[in-house]
Order: sequence, then structure tokens, then C-alpha cells
Amino acid sequence: MASKSGRAVAELETEKSDNGRKNGNGRELMLGLYKMLVKCRMCDEKARILFRQGKYAGNFYSGVGQEAAEVGAAYSLREDDWIAPSHRDWTSNIIKGAPLNLCFAQLFGKATSPDRGKSTPAHMGYPPIHTITPASSIAGQLAVGTGVAFGLKKLGRDTVVVSFFGDGATSLGGFHEALNFAGVHKLPIIYVCQNNLWAESVPLRLQTALKDLADRAKAYGFPGISLDGNDVMAVYDASTKAIARARAGEGPTFLECKTYRWYGHSEIDPAKYRMKEEVEAWKKRDPLVLFEKVLRDKKLLTDESKDKIAKETTQEINEAVEFAEQSPYPDASELADHIWAQE
Amino acid sequence: MARNITMIEAITEAMAQEMERDDRVFVMGEDIGLSGGVFKATAGLYEKFGEERVLDTPLAEGNIIASAIGASMVGLRPIAEIQFADFITPAMESLVQQASKIRYRSAGGYGCSLTVRICCGGGTGGGLYHSQENASWFVHEPGLKVVMPSTAYDAKGLLLAAIRDPNPVLYFEHKKLYRTAKGDVPDGDYTVPIGKAEIRRQGRDMTIVTYGYMTGLCLEAAEQITKNGVDAEVIDLRTLSPLDKDTVLESVRKTSKCLVVHEDKRTLGIGGEISAIIAEEAFDDLDGPIIRITGPDIPAIPFAPPLEHAWMVNTEKIVAGMEKLAAY
Ligand SMILES: Cc1ncc(C[n+]2csc(CCOP(=O)(O)OP(=O)(O)O)c2C)c(N)n1
Ligand SMILES: [Mg+2]
Repeated sequence: MASKSGRAVAELETEKSDNGRKNGNGRELMLGLYKMLVKCRMCDEKARILFRQGKYAGNFYSGVGQEAAEVGAAYSLREDDWIAPSHRDWTSNIIKGAPLNLCFAQLFGKATSPDRGKSTPAHMGYPPIHTITPASSIAGQLAVGTGVAFGLKKLGRDTVVVSFFGDGATSLGGFHEALNFAGVHKLPIIYVCQNNLWAESVPLRLQTALKDLADRAKAYGFPGISLDGNDVMAVYDASTKAIARARAGEGPTFLECKTYRWYGHSEIDPAKYRMKEEVEAWKKRDPLVLFEKVLRDKKLLTDESKDKIAKETTQEINEAVEFAEQSPYPDASELADHIWAQE
Repeated sequence: MARNITMIEAITEAMAQEMERDDRVFVMGEDIGLSGGVFKATAGLYEKFGEERVLDTPLAEGNIIASAIGASMVGLRPIAEIQFADFITPAMESLVQQASKIRYRSAGGYGCSLTVRICCGGGTGGGLYHSQENASWFVHEPGLKVVMPSTAYDAKGLLLAAIRDPNPVLYFEHKKLYRTAKGDVPDGDYTVPIGKAEIRRQGRDMTIVTYGYMTGLCLEAAEQITKNGVDAEVIDLRTLSPLDKDTVLESVRKTSKCLVVHEDKRTLGIGGEISAIIAEEAFDDLDGPIIRITGPDIPAIPFAPPLEHAWMVNTEKIVAGMEKLAAY
């Protein structure tokens, strides 16, 4: 059970999410999902602004446009579950419950960030909530995350791993090795592929001859499902089923969330290789706007409550940015710390 | 005619001219096509030569190198790009089991003529995984040639030599030099020999052996230390494998002192090898210890600015090393 009070209701419902929704008890859950979508969107947009303002160097990989996949897949995870994020999954830490202060300190590379300024801005993990600090090498976390699932299974726990990665990652050898192993041992892992049609500037047609990346799962002997990755409830439903399956020892599931990144691959990529029409068409399918409509139809959201959520989130973000800006950089004397285990 | 152009322009020009001259040459890698590469090294090639010869590959470095090796075995001349030296690891099997050994294991029956362009180096705020050099990994592999230019002139000449070389050549490009190393580059055809170092500054009192981005810093340090009355010679290796021992030994015999400077990590780095060569072959000529100024034995360059600064070799650290050596 999550310790954060704001999440408790949603998490309670999570465990019986299907029943809850069928019985019409999913209001808290849906509002919770909405708030999390808003939080991820606003944090991500803030991260972009801060980069443009020159507040931190390095780079940032925006996930704006892909929030439904990220939130839908990770929202129902328990505190003891794990996430193996990649470069575009800074917000997965937020969904899993990392304090915003730490998330922004991470961007700035400050001594108060979980990695004390060692890794890069977007490559964030936070050990207390079991998000793995990612290497940038694509598919690396996915493989290590599979190892975590292997270990958890050996320990006899009913804990699961959610692994996030993109369409491009499915081309690496390490991807195939990991999924093959997970299939053989029915490991408790959910592979969440955010197929945003591009791997940097490389279009999907040059990445794979498949139409649906979910088809890859066939080769490893476990289910693969293609989803509308901009429909948060669709992702949430498929994920909770996959998570339940994994907890029950029935093995992995591959979820292909078809989605789109609105901006460049990173903050230094003007993305000139994409057609404006494509970008505009996907922006019309904004996962937040789509879900907002669902909530309004169900009378779960009004102009006032929407405003209130935005205001509260803005304040929370401003405080976190303030914290990050005030935090010191790590001292040069820390350079050689954490190479070896402390005796 | 020579023009004043940047290193990255020289690299692009070398590829374009060689593709024009030799239709066996093609380029492949991640994001090198329409987008022209992360650093724009292949800008304009896609428009000029089309998708057949400027191929955006799937995200799989192992396969980029393996397929380039295979293509070269039927007579083609691939130039493969590895976007960041940090991400060369999935290609380790292809490079060290295949490229370096195919000729040896087939007693010359097969070989591969392939160029791998690798963007490397730190000091740009890239953090742990966009700053690594990793060149010395491959110096340990006979069968692979390893080069790294420090000037725009060498960048073009070495790249043309690499493409024409009948062996696999790993061509490292320091990202900090792409737009800062500017110089006169002939617009015509020329090569810079692989395996030949260049003396960038003549001097009597000590020899500094270095390469790549560090070359400029060493030249700066050599100027600064003239105020102490020290006259240093600076050797730019240009090729890390095979090493130009002769140029190094000849210089050390003249100056009797040697400082080796590299950005990559210390242990088992090029500095260790050069020190050993000098100790073995020029021991009697030495008037002091061989000193190394290198990146530290710390996994990679961290992101936080004070940590990155502490990690990197800079002019101050080089001057300090020179002062220490001058005292002997
Ligand atoms: C092994 C490796 N090769 C290359 C890169 C450089 N790189 C970073 S992200 C990326 C594209 C990733 O595409 P995808 O998996 O579709 O994820 P997306 O960025 O679309 O979220 C590349 C080529 C890397 N980080 N790791
Ligand atoms: Mg993608």
C-alpha cells in the first residue's frame, strides 16, 4: 500500500480495479489518473522551459504526448513493485511516488538528487521506490529489469516489474535476449513499448517490417497486445490485467502503446524530419484532452475543478523548482564516491 | 585550393568526395540519413546520394558493424557511424570477434575493409553516457586500426586513408573539436598516413605525447610553461594503433623527459603503454620519471558541472605535470 495519502484511495481500487469500474466506483480512480496525467504533463513542460532557460545543461527527452501510456501502465503499481525506465521516462518516477523536489534536483544535477548529480537530467531512478537509475544505452534497463523480475520470482514474491522503452529499443539484441528469457521462466514483468513511430529521426518503416510491434511477443511465447496509447483507460485496463497475470505467476505481457511524442527527440532536436501534418494530427489526439472529455461527460470534472488541479500542481512544481535551484551542486571531492561498495 | 573550414566540415567533405570517386563507398548508421546525423557529420549526403547509399539503420550497433563487415567481404567499402562511443558496446562482438579476427582466422582468405566513425569525448556536459572516449578498448585488439584527428586537415586526410585502407579502421572524432578545430583544408584529394605521428611543436626540454582534443590543451600548456624557461615538444599521435613508436622514442632520446596526456581513463590507457615502451627502449636516455596526466579511474564523466570539471584533464593539470617533470 502506498504511503502517500493522496494515492491511497486510488490504490485500494486498483487492486480490484475491474470490479470497481464495472460497479461504477471508479470515480476516485479516474480523477486520480487525470491528476497524474496533468502532473506529468506540467512537470515535463516545466523541464523543457528550464532547459531552454539554460538552468541546466545536458539534455532532456520530453514525453509530452505519451503521458497516457506512462500513467496508464504505472499508476496501479504497488510500492514494492519496480520500474525499469528509459530516457523518456523521467515522469515514471513521479507516477511511482518520487517527491517532486528530487525530480527537479535531478534535472539540475544537484547534490540533493537521488544520484547526487552523477547521471544525466532525464535518466532518473530512485531506489526507495524501486525505479532503476537508467544507463542511456537503449534496452539496457529493459534487460536488467528482466533480471530483477527473475530475482523477484526466485524470492517467491508477488512483486512485478514494469519496463518502459520505445520502438527503437526492440531492434537491439539485448531486447530479444531479455524477452526470450522472460518467456522461458514466466517472469513477472510487463514490457511497455511506447511506439511513438520514431526513434530519433528513424521512422518505423526502417526499424521493423512489422505493422504491430506487439507481434514480437509471439516469438517469445507470451501475449502481446497493441493498444491506443493515448487512451489512458485502455492502457490502465490492459496493464492491470497484465500486472495481475504477472503476480499470479503466469508470466510476462508485451503491451504496445501506439502514441506520439509532440516535440523533438530531445531539446536540441528541431525534428525537421517529421511532417507537420503528422504532428498536428497527433496533437489533436492529445491524451489529456481525450480523457478530460470522458471525465466531463461523466460529470467528474468542471472548469473549476480543472483549474484547481492546475493551480495546485503549478504550486507544487514551483516549490520543487525552488528547492532544486537552492540546492548546492555536489562538491568535487565526491567525484570518486560510490565506485565501490562501502565496507 | 585550401579553405579555412571546421573539422566536421572536413569529415563531411571527405565522405562526399570519396562516395563521388568510388561507388563502392556507402554510409550507414543511426540518424545519419535525412537528419544528417546528431552532429550533422553526414549533412547533405542523403540528398546527394539517396537512401541506397546513406542508410538509416535500426537501433542496433552490433548489426550496424556486422552488416558493414559482411558488405565489405563482398568488396564494398562501408563507413559505419556509431553515434556515441558510449554506445559502441552492443558492437563489441562484431568488432573484437569478427572485424579484428576474420583475416587472421581465415589465413588471409577473407578480410574486411571498413571504416567506423565514432563520436567521442567529454567536457560538453553530456554526462556519464555521452562523454566516454573508449578508444583504448580497441587498441588492445590487434587487427583493428585506431585513429583520432586533432585538426581539420588531419580529419579529412585520415578519413580518406581509413576508407581506402584494406583493414578495419576505427576513426574517433572528439565532439568538442567538431566546430572548434578550424584550419586550412585542401579541397582536393589527399591522405594522411595511418600509423604516423606528427610533431606539433618542436622543443628541447621535454616531450609531451598526446592526441585528439588534448593536443590543443598541451600546446597551450607548452606556451604557458615557456615563462619557466621550459621548451616542450608536443607529439600528436594521430594513430593509436599501430603506434608510431619511432617518433616518440626519437623525441624522448632528444629531450630525456616525457609526459603523456590523455583524456581517457588512466589504468591500461595509452599512457601506460607508451610509458612501458619508453622504459623498455629508451631507459638510458631518461632524466626523470615518465609522468601521466589522464582522466581518473572513475567509471565515466559525471553530469554535475563541478564533477565534470574535476574529471576532465585541463591546461592547469597539464602545466602542473610539466612543472613536476621540469624539476628533474
Ligand atoms: C545503444 C544505444 N544506441 C544509440 C543511442 C542513442 N539514442 C538515444 S535514444 C535513441 C532512439 C530511441 O528510440 P526509441 O527506442 O523509439 O525511443 P524514443 O526515443 O522514441 O522514446 C537513440 C538512437 C543510445 N542511447 N543507446
Ligand atoms: Mg520511438
